[in-house]
Amino acid sequence: MKRKRRVSIAAILPMYLFTLLFVLGPLIYMLILSFASRDGQWGVSAEFTLKNYPRMLEPIYLRTFWNSIKLSLLSTLFVLLIGYPFGYFMARLTKKWRTIAMLLLIIPFWTSTLMRLYGWIIFFRANGVFDGLLMGLGLTTAPLKLLYSYPAVVVGMIYALVPFMIYSVYSSAEKLDWRLVEAARDLGASGFRAFLTVSLPLTAPGIFSGVILTFVPSMGLYFIADVLGGNKIVLIGNLIQEQLVKLHDWPFAAAMSVVLLVLTSVFLFLYRRVTKSDSLEGLV
Amino acid sequence: MKKTLVILLALSLLLALAACGEKAPTSAAPPSEGRAVGGTLNIYTWEGMFPEDILSNFEAETGVTINYVNFDTDETMLSKLQDAKGGDYDLIIADDYIIELAIQEGLVQKLDAAKLSNYGNINPFYQGQFYDPADEYTIPYGAGVQTIVYDPSLTSIDIKGYADLLDPSLKNNVGVIANYRVIDGLALKINGYSYNTNNIDEINAAGATLLELAPNIRLIKDDNIEDDLIIREVAATVMYTSQVTMAKLAKPDLEVVYPSEGIGFGIMAGFIPSNAPNADAAYAFLNYILDAQRGAECFEWLGYYSTFSASDPLISEEFQSFLTLPEDFKTTDSEMIENISAEADAAHELIWTAFREATGQTD
Repeated sequence: MKRKRRVSIAAILPMYLFTLLFVLGPLIYMLILSFASRDGQWGVSAEFTLKNYPRMLEPIYLRTFWNSIKLSLLSTLFVLLIGYPFGYFMARLTKKWRTIAMLLLIIPFWTSTLMRLYGWIIFFRANGVFDGLLMGLGLTTAPLKLLYSYPAVVVGMIYALVPFMIYSVYSSAEKLDWRLVEAARDLGASGFRAFLTVSLPLTAPGIFSGVILTFVPSMGLYFIADVLGGNKIVLIGNLIQEQLVKLHDWPFAAAMSVVLLVLTSVFLFLYRRVTKSDSLEGLV
Repeated sequence: MKKTLVILLALSLLLALAACGEKAPTSAAPPSEGRAVGGTLNIYTWEGMFPEDILSNFEAETGVTINYVNFDTDETMLSKLQDAKGGDYDLIIADDYIIELAIQEGLVQKLDAAKLSNYGNINPFYQGQFYDPADEYTIPYGAGVQTIVYDPSLTSIDIKGYADLLDPSLKNNVGVIANYRVIDGLALKINGYSYNTNNIDEINAAGATLLELAPNIRLIKDDNIEDDLIIREVAATVMYTSQVTMAKLAKPDLEVVYPSEGIGFGIMAGFIPSNAPNADAAYAFLNYILDAQRGAECFEWLGYYSTFSASDPLISEEFQSFLTLPEDFKTTDSEMIENISAEADAAHELIWTAFREATGQTD
């Protein structure tokens, strides 16, 4: 017995060490860094300071935070509208078609997200595929300037995030006991009413986890705004990256990262509070 | 047995962590040391700064082996050089502002111009600049001159200067590089101020001008912005010289404008670190590229302005108009971007972020 316990600890230890070193370690490093001072053009000095935090109260930074949240909410909403029906009906397919649908969803992940975003550039750019199509059909006469615009960024966000919503909703809908829906119909509920009162509440955990899987990463997907938005849509992620790479102010970048981390944690907490959801499909 | 395995695993993790803590070695082979003249020449610069045959011919003619190590950013270079205490490398080519810091830190040795028979080929316009006012340490190798490039078939106005980029007819049609000192600087120039002002009010005035410019901005990016001009995604751009070269080669009817408000430029320059293991080889190489013909070859390859006057006439017709300064170029209108105070830099950062944020609100 004792020996067995030792073995299981031994098996788990590397994971713990790995997590401690590579997940908790960098977080602590970031936290410490956020209280350090900038030194010269790009260095960091160990001198303790609190000033990196109040700096974020500049109206322009607050606006950036707000813009990020707005874009994330908007993307999440669209992702939900597209992903929910997709995942829901996918669960109703026959086994063979379900496997095919799943495969089709997974295949794009075999190439990097960035590569796929460049595909969108080719699609959106002046006289590109989309413009060509519209002009060919006689719907427009001049290029629409779709690339480097807010809608292009939203499309990119939806594209990158929608699979996560589909997976969550699907795994929830798959477990749904369809006999309950049938019972509701037998008792006279319309299809829509049966969906609203039976299917929707039962797939709610899938929606919750889907929203979290979409909203949280969307706050950090700055490269989508860079590539499809022509760097014009400034998100918190862009600010952090720019502070790190261009302005070489690591402590300020760390402070912003800490705030972003706290912000997303608060959102998660609020979310669980409001929805009273303990079971997050696929998450917990 | 399993216990040993776990300990080994844990140790390997610790090792990996320790390795992270250390300054990572250069991506290419580490420079070798202590060999006699002839030996190895350790060049440390960006990727692709010389045509391949210049490097191989130099090796063939002198018997020196070149060890070409590249960096991505000037800052990486300086921190490596600090770690090496001015050693490890024989010749470094980097940007002006970082060289100023390297010289201040005593990491650069004085050049002996007598060892460079081709020294006179240098264009004096690029000498005596802020980073090396007495020309004691550096040889300029390529310059970037900030110009506006536009497609006359897509614009209804003649663009003469930065102020013209504010014209309402260019709404959502201008692309700019993502260098905040260059773009903030453009607004400073419209207001008649210096690129290097430390006056916060002047910087904020430039910020207001940038907000006026914002509705016209379609795109802010550093990489391949010339493509967007070539495929007519934008009508006018402010971009780096190497990109101007690419754009002009692809589309010769583009207009290159020296902004009427004044020219900003940057210089790349070569220097020998204070403890270079093989300074003689560095002198030999510098003199080799300072040759008029080889210099012209290098600048055509590099796509930056020729900094050797002797090379200017040898640059082929195709490249003349954008690799050499025009005859009527007035040196008084030009200014380099220099290091500024931390407060001024912070003000720049704010107006730059506000500008970018404003550009996103106009769709």
